[in-house]
Amino acid sequence: MIRAANPLAQEPRYDLIARVLRDNIRSGALPAGFVLLEGPIATVMQTSRVPVQTALRQLLDEGLIHRFDGRGYLVGEGAADAAPIRRDIRELDLSIPPLVDDALQTRGTWRHVYDEVEEEVASCQIFGEFRIVETELAEHLGVSRTVVRDVLARLQERGLIRKNAASHWIAGPLTARTVSEKFELRGIVEPVALRLAAPHIRYAEVEALLERIGSDAAISPQELGEGLLEHCIAQAPNTALVEMIRSNRLLLSAVDRALIRLGLPRDEDTIEQYQTLFDLIARHPIDSACEYLRDHLSITARRHLARMKIVAVIPEGGAFAAYLSPQ
Amino acid sequence: MHGTADQTQLAAPPAVKRRLLRVLGTSITLLPPVREQARADLGFDIEFTQLDFLDCQRQAAMEPQGYDVYEQCFHNLDIVWFWGALQPIDIARIPEWDNISDLVKLGGVSKYAGRGRGDAPVKKLYIQPGGFLGSKPSRHISMLPTVHNMDSFGFDARVFGASPEVRPSWAWLLDRRAKGRIALVDEPAIGFFDAALAAEASGELEFADIGNMTIDEINALMKLLERKRLDGYFCASWRDGDEAAALAEQGKVAIQSMWSPVYGKLRRARPHFVEAVPVEGYRAWHGGASLSHHLRGAQLDMAYEYLNWWLSGFAGAVMARQGYYISNPTRARDFLAPDEWAYWYDGAAATRDLPGPTGEVAVAAGSRRAGGPYTDRARQIVIWNTVMDEYNYAARAWDRFVRRLQEGVEA
Repeated sequence: MIRAANPLAQEPRYDLIARVLRDNIRSGALPAGFVLLEGPIATVMQTSRVPVQTALRQLLDEGLIHRFDGRGYLVGEGAADAAPIRRDIRELDLSIPPLVDDALQTRGTWRHVYDEVEEEVASCQIFGEFRIVETELAEHLGVSRTVVRDVLARLQERGLIRKNAASHWIAGPLTARTVSEKFELRGIVEPVALRLAAPHIRYAEVEALLERIGSDAAISPQELGEGLLEHCIAQAPNTALVEMIRSNRLLLSAVDRALIRLGLPRDEDTIEQYQTLFDLIARHPIDSACEYLRDHLSITARRHLARMKIVAVIPEGGAFAAYLSPQ
Repeated sequence: MHGTADQTQLAAPPAVKRRLLRVLGTSITLLPPVREQARADLGFDIEFTQLDFLDCQRQAAMEPQGYDVYEQCFHNLDIVWFWGALQPIDIARIPEWDNISDLVKLGGVSKYAGRGRGDAPVKKLYIQPGGFLGSKPSRHISMLPTVHNMDSFGFDARVFGASPEVRPSWAWLLDRRAKGRIALVDEPAIGFFDAALAAEASGELEFADIGNMTIDEINALMKLLERKRLDGYFCASWRDGDEAAALAEQGKVAIQSMWSPVYGKLRRARPHFVEAVPVEGYRAWHGGASLSHHLRGAQLDMAYEYLNWWLSGFAGAVMARQGYYISNPTRARDFLAPDEWAYWYDGAAATRDLPGPTGEVAVAAGSRRAGGPYTDRARQIVIWNTVMDEYNYAARAWDRFVRRLQEGVEA
């Protein structure tokens, strides 16, 4: 079990650091003129420098600290011309509330950073092949290399990265072959799962989705795809099958999201198909829905392959997380 | 300050805004004489935005509000069509439709002519249920077929010979006789296939379907090209016709990818730098014009007028003078002198010096078009310019190769 009970566990690390520094400035534990340096603060907070930098910028914006002719920042508004106080922050008796301390420590577990990394690693792959350097990922996330190794192990387990001959971690490239194979697999297993799920489908939710398709102009194919998975397919009483379906969809959904970020317009044809599909599920024998799902997936595969081609005419660079180096 | 306008005064004469049609395209069709004549014939303003192939596709897909008509090729239509940037063209509004050639409507100039691998335009022409593109006839099309050609390569006859026994082959693009003097066109849906044809013709590689290569086949081709590059076979890559002409004029190349208008630009190199009729056949392409998805009402009507104007003859004649064919040749014939038609479409010897698209001499008296009459050339299509399934992968690999070639990277 992870310590999810801590209400601060979901807050960004830089917010927690800023909170500690702010409280200590206000209480006077950090006196005006005190020189704040990233490195020692990171040590005290047991994090990397990246979140410390963000926290300090936040305090600067709030006017609690200011820049001066030296490294770091000075506590205070900058009006006083007191000489900089250069002392090791570790010697001060800073107050760090146990809950914050606990939350900072909890950050050490890979689960807290995993989702963000998974999205970045999955969606970069249509742009080619990337190398992930462990130390850079650790720096980026502000976590230890042990945690990074846990993250990488999970990514490998889910088929998102692999090691090459030089033992480097590699993500991508996502090829048309991979996409075709994943859709082919979907066409084989998802209709089967849907049939198994029939007695357990959350029909009220399906009706609600149908209702929304008719009334909500902002509804997206991605939402409907999620709905199909969660309310229908994932209700199949076979957890291994459902797990396989989820993991097979991972890269495809990430590609979808990446294309939408590039500006892919809303796709009415696909929404219409979901409408037909949900209607079949809700009101007709499940076999007809299974057949339709198979067709829908083969059409979606072709659309997907065609859309991915646009990536070849988009200049690369700049859009990827710092720890992903294009190969 | 007056609280209300004086109703007795005449308003300033209304500034009548001249109607404007915005065309996005490439150097293939966006020629000044075409624009001038279209403006005169149609009575509205026409603005041309000319970009290179890749920028043009990106802009067309992502900024459809920025143009009304998109002039490009069938082979890269997938990218723009599936991004939802275009709208179907109703063939009922195209009076010349019945005169458009079978090459694009059926896939070949006759029942027995080869179809060619890859993105034959017929495969992308008709709109199918669900918004797909396919060859099954329907009332709506994705792109109005206009200009097209069958490409090969140009070679120095002093190096490869010029006698009738000499049978040019795509294999020459990797031939030792031209080592250090070979150039390819840098476009991953075009030059890539020149290289692929060379690899197959020379026996170095074999592809199950050259028009839709697998990752392993792409890797093998790029490996071969890299080996040849390191051995010093290639001297350059080029992106537009002027660069290609310069390479030939300066004698830097003994063989290279070529586009038809480039031959008309040659001067000193003209006598010895000749167009090949490859034994394996041609790499063809087909261009056309599409409608931006935002067009409605009067603006849409203007776009249809412009599309129909394209098939009314004048544009087809201008295209012919740079060596390109039009999809309905009979109308273009009315705008060509008989000897021009005889040279460009029938493969006859030029009875005089013939003009290019802007009036300069493009063809010397007495010469004949390589490959002969239109139908003979159109029967020999082996591959079309293609954006295959693994295009992303191939285009990136190709870019890396071209970068290394230009930077002269050593092993």
